[in-house]
Parts: sequence; structure tokens; C-alpha cells
Amino acid sequence: MSTASNSEPKAPNRELKARGKASPDKIQSTIRNSTLIRNGIIEDNDMDHHAESDNINVKDLANGNVSVPLSVWKENKSELRSRISVLAVQIASDEFVEDLADDLGDIEMVVLPFVNFVDGRAYSHAHMLRTRYGFLGEIRAIGDVHFDHLAFLARSGCDAFELPDGDDHQAALAAFSEFSEVYQPAADDAQLIFSRRRTKH
Amino acid sequence: MYKYDAVDKTIVSERVEQFRGQVNRHLAGELSAADFQPLRLRNGLYMQIHAHMLRVSIPYGLLNSEQMRALAEISRRYDHSYGHFTTRQNIQFNWPKLEDVPDILEDLSKVEMHAIQTSGNCIRNISSDHYAGVAQDEIIDPRPYCEIIRQWSTLHPEFYWLPRKFKIAVTGATNDRAAVQFHDIGLEVVKNDSQEIGFRVYVGGGLGRTPVIGKVIKEFLPREDILSYCDAILRVYNLHGRRDNKYKARIKILVNAMGIDDFRSAVESDWAHSKDGELKLHDMDFQTMQAFFPAPAYEELEAGDARVNKWLDLDTQFSAWYRNNTKSHKKTGYRIVDISLKEHGVAPGDASDTQMDAIADIAADYSFGEIRVTHEQNLVLADVRESDLLEVWKALDAVRLATPNIGSVNDMICCPGLDFCSLANASSLSIAKQINETFSDYQELYDVGEVKLKMSGCMNACGHHHVGHIGILGVDKKGEEWYQLTVGGDAANKAALGARLGPAIAKDNVGAAVADILNVYRDRRTGDERLVDTFRRVGVEPFKEHVYRETD
Repeated sequence: MSTASNSEPKAPNRELKARGKASPDKIQSTIRNSTLIRNGIIEDNDMDHHAESDNINVKDLANGNVSVPLSVWKENKSELRSRISVLAVQIASDEFVEDLADDLGDIEMVVLPFVNFVDGRAYSHAHMLRTRYGFLGEIRAIGDVHFDHLAFLARSGCDAFELPDGDDHQAALAAFSEFSEVYQPAADDAQLIFSRRRTKH
Repeated sequence: MYKYDAVDKTIVSERVEQFRGQVNRHLAGELSAADFQPLRLRNGLYMQIHAHMLRVSIPYGLLNSEQMRALAEISRRYDHSYGHFTTRQNIQFNWPKLEDVPDILEDLSKVEMHAIQTSGNCIRNISSDHYAGVAQDEIIDPRPYCEIIRQWSTLHPEFYWLPRKFKIAVTGATNDRAAVQFHDIGLEVVKNDSQEIGFRVYVGGGLGRTPVIGKVIKEFLPREDILSYCDAILRVYNLHGRRDNKYKARIKILVNAMGIDDFRSAVESDWAHSKDGELKLHDMDFQTMQAFFPAPAYEELEAGDARVNKWLDLDTQFSAWYRNNTKSHKKTGYRIVDISLKEHGVAPGDASDTQMDAIADIAADYSFGEIRVTHEQNLVLADVRESDLLEVWKALDAVRLATPNIGSVNDMICCPGLDFCSLANASSLSIAKQINETFSDYQELYDVGEVKLKMSGCMNACGHHHVGHIGILGVDKKGEEWYQLTVGGDAANKAALGARLGPAIAKDNVGAAVADILNVYRDRRTGDERLVDTFRRVGVEPFKEHVYRETD
């Protein structure tokens, strides 16, 4: 299926044409944060997230923990796999999980980069990775990810979060326990509220 | 009505504490205004011209007396002693202080109310028929379905950051009073040949800058599949809806861009994964939910009441109110009472704290303690004994809530406009006043009959002007307020967008132009045609000619 912007006829609205995208969908430069929250625990981070715009040469990558954009993975699968021990592929907001579906067994981690936290496409990406494609590896949210987004990201299937170094990681841990009840199933083990009430009656 | 269990209570109280924490972090400088804004919006808190505005959710417009008293108390303690009922069956407070909002939300939680998802780009309050459960044309009561969707969509982790706001409406009656064809998803109850209950599903309707009538995506969706089907629609929208331009981000733009057939295929292929999964509802779920909406303990009564009939003959004010503000009820001996919030000189939809308290008392005494909010910004007492109508009328009249103008041109829908809203181009409230003054003769109003007049102060269309029988849109012309008129819009079953009458009209002439439209109607009508029926027959030209005729 094509995206809306592809299938829409040329917009007659000049204002719209003149303006670029409200925000980019991909990370604009390589990200390296010193800590992350994984499964509710603060850990040191040693993952480099390479931006597409950095025009990385796969042959220059040292072995280690590396995340690459989907396009880089698509073009360099065997080279990457042979060089990198912990390999992650980024799915940008405007990309589709379907395009990585066949490769999920070949990688350790999927990275969901947030350029702007109000863009919720990655929540559906995480949900589909877990519930539709049965991905069991790590799903890590990076970029514009903070305290107030962690709980729903976790429910949608993310299990690791890189907050910017300036954020208070300790305080942000509270996000995971703000709600002790939920109404709907997600990529976690929560049940639909009506199904829970069925068993009570 | 629905009663919270431990799960509902926990979610609502934990939400209050979450927001209290966010407000505190914001006030302490730990959460920037930009990062706080989308969080406060999802708790109903806007920033308007003069102050914050808090929009409180009234699910499918249903309130009990205790909740109405709580709203009155909140307006007294934290606001300017009034509230504004909205076209989404919610209530807004226009002057709360940011630091008070967590306390307001805590007070609301004590009467099982909240402000969750009343704004922001997420799934909003589920709206429905304000005559649910009592209308004569009802197939089934839509409220249990609304409540099921409300719970599923509340704090939904995957659909909390959509491209744009998302509105769902449900109707269970033959006559659509919930405008389902103008919602992102509209659900219309239908029964199939085997008498099974399901829904005709509309998608991609909406007003705003680009008004669109919803398209049928599914002719018959079995009721057990409503959540999984909504889930599939939301996922396709979340992934594919535009995010580069907020005016192109509603689902209606996506549906139009893809075409309904391609959009349907995308939804159906997503749905295939989850159709028989954990979102499938069981018959027991509907029964459990329906038990929260039983018919009240009606008495077996005779039709009519001798004393009321006598007063109808004697008192013209009472009989005008009876004729305009009450409607037949499915139970013999009862009537539906509409409470007009369109008193001359008051902003449409506003109610003072004393009025809210009085309504709570009247509902408790005469209508099983329940009140409904209509999307036309009025209130309803749904179950009043005919023999009590005189007392109810007197009690309403004592607090100026018996203006006999329901359904008339004075019963207009109106956004707050330039007086409150930072988006507005033009004032709406002053036009409402002008129209009230133009049509102060009630005999004339009754002769004109049902006219849905809807007015918005800007093209974002909060006043639903596109679907007014007469629509008025405020526009800014070089710093002056002008008004664009449309005729023939309809939010009901024969959904239609109004036809533009011609160039915008100067502020002082709006009342006269509306009078012109009504004069053309009176000249042209046949039988018991309403304005909108006459328009459908004769078209826009006769109206246009008269309004824009050459005058000296």
C-alpha cells in the first residue's frame, strides 16, 4: 500500500507545496546516549545509532553494538551481519514494519527513533513487531523520548529507552508504575477489561 | 447509568495524580511549556485568550444530579460561577487557574467524572443520541456500546498520539440525532436479516476547514467486532494519516486521498489479523453493560393529564413551552423535556451555578435524577410524568430555563467566538444576540418552525455551520468582522453541506439576511415543509436573489 502523500494528487494548495515536512522522520545525526532504561533498570549504554545522513560506510564500522537505518541494512545485510555482533535496525516513523518482517530473525534489536514525541507511528510499529510478527528481541525507543511517554511505549512493546543525557533517569522510572490498571490489551499481558469482568460474574 | 467499578476508579484517580505530577514538574521548570502542552491537552486543559480553559468529559452526554451539583460547585469554587455546555456534549470552564486543575480533577473523580482525552490528537469523548433510551424511533439503546468504546479507547497506548483528533459517535435510532456521518467514525445501529444487531460503519466524515460527509466502510459489522474494527481503522490512520500539515491530518483527508475502496482494503487486511482475537466481544459483555442502563421505574399511567390540559388552554406561555420544549415519550404518561440554554442575552450553552443546582434538583424530583446534554447545547430531562409538567415548567422558569425556543431559529448552536477563543476571526455571541433581537416575536418564530441555525467564529467550524439549515461563518476582512451565510446543510440522515449564499455580509446586516431567508421560505413553502425541505426543492437561487437584491 502506498502512503497518503504518494497516492494524493499534486496538491493545488501552494502554501502546502512551499513548506517542507513539519519535522523529519529520521534521526538527523548519530546518537550516542550514555545511559538507558532497560526492563525498568538504568544501565550504561554502548549502542551507536548511525543516522542515514551520515553516509556511513559499512566497511568502516568497528565490531560492537551498532544500529543502522533500514535502508543501510537492506543494502548491506551480509556485510553487516558478519561484522557486527549486536545489530539493530532502525525503523523510522515513515517506514513500515512490513519491510523488515522477513529479516527479524537475523537481527538482535529494532530501534524506533522519535524525532518528535507527538508522532505516534512508532507505537503501532512496536505493537505490530510484537503481536503480528512475534519479534522477541529488544525494541528500543530513542530520540525525543522522555518520562511522560515511557509507560505507553512499554505497553506497546518497547522494552528499552534511551532518554537524552539531560533527563533525570531515576525520576523517569516512576513512569512505569503510574497506572496499576488498564482497560485494553496491548503488546503487554493486559487483558480487555470486559474479558476480566466476564470471569468475575 | 454506568457506575464505576474498582478498575474505573483506580484509573481515574491515578490519572489525577499523574497530571498533578506533570503540573508540579511544569511549575518547577522541569517540564517545558512545549513538552507540557500536549500532556495538558490530553487532560482537557487548553490555553485561550484570557486564561486556561478546562473541558470536562460527559460521556455520551449523560449526567446524574450529583454530578451536576459537582459541576456547579466547581464553577463556584474555581471559576466564575458558570459553565459552558459544548457541541460534543461536554462542559467547559473558562477561567480555572493551572495550579487548581489537579484539585478540580480530583473533585470530579469523586463523582465519577474526568477530563481525559477531551482535547489533543487522540480519541475524544464518544457522543450519542441525547434521547437514547426514550426515543420512539429507537432500535436499540446506543449507550452500552458508547460505554464499551469509551473504556477501550481510554488511555489506549497505541492510539494516544494520532495525527489529529478522532471523534466517534453512535446512534441507535432511525432518526440520527448524533450526526454520525460527520464523525471520524460513525456507528449506526442496523439489524441484519436474522435480526442480529450490528452497525453500519461510516468513516472519514467531519466538519472543520474541509467539511466531508462520511463514507460507508462497512454495511454490516456484527456488534461483537466493533472494537477490533475500530482498532484496525485507527491503526491504518495512525500509520498513514498525514502529519506534515495539521489541516490535512484528519482521517477524512486520508480516506479521500486513498479512496474509500483502497482505504477499506487496508482496514480489512489489518483487521484480518485481529478480527477473532482478544478484542472480540461476547454476548455477556453487552448484557453486563446493558444492565447499567435499565429503563427507569416507570409507573403505568394514562395518557394526558386533566390539570395540564386545562393549563394548556389557559396559559399561552405554558402551552408555548409545552409545544416547543417537550416531546413525546415511548412510555405512555411521560414526556421528554428539553431545557433551553438559549435564553436571550446569554451565550448559547452557558449555565450558571444556580441554574445547574436547580436542574440537579428538578431532575432528582421529577426525572429519576438524570440529565442529558445535547450536541445542540441544551439539556434534557428525559423521563418526566405528564402530570408533573406544570411543576417542572414553573421550577425551570424560576431560574430562566424555560425559554420556549427549542428547534427554532433562536435555538442556535454557537461557538464562543472572538470573545474567548484565540482562533476565532469574528464574534459569534454578538450575532446570537442580534438574531435573538430580530426574532423576538415568538408567534413569528413558531410560524417558521424548525430551523437549525449554526454559527462558527472561524473556519475551524466548532459551531458546525456547514450543517446548519442556516449556517453562519465569521470571517476576517481587513480587520473587520464579516459573515458568510450558507443554506440547506443537514447533520441528520440526509446529510448535506450547506450551499454558499454569496459574498460575506457586514456584521450589522446578519439578522436582516436571516430574516430574508426565512421570508423566502415562508413564501415558497408548501404543506408542512421545513426550511431545509423547501431548500431541497427550490435550490439556493431564490434565497440568494432575495438576500442580495438591489435596495436603495
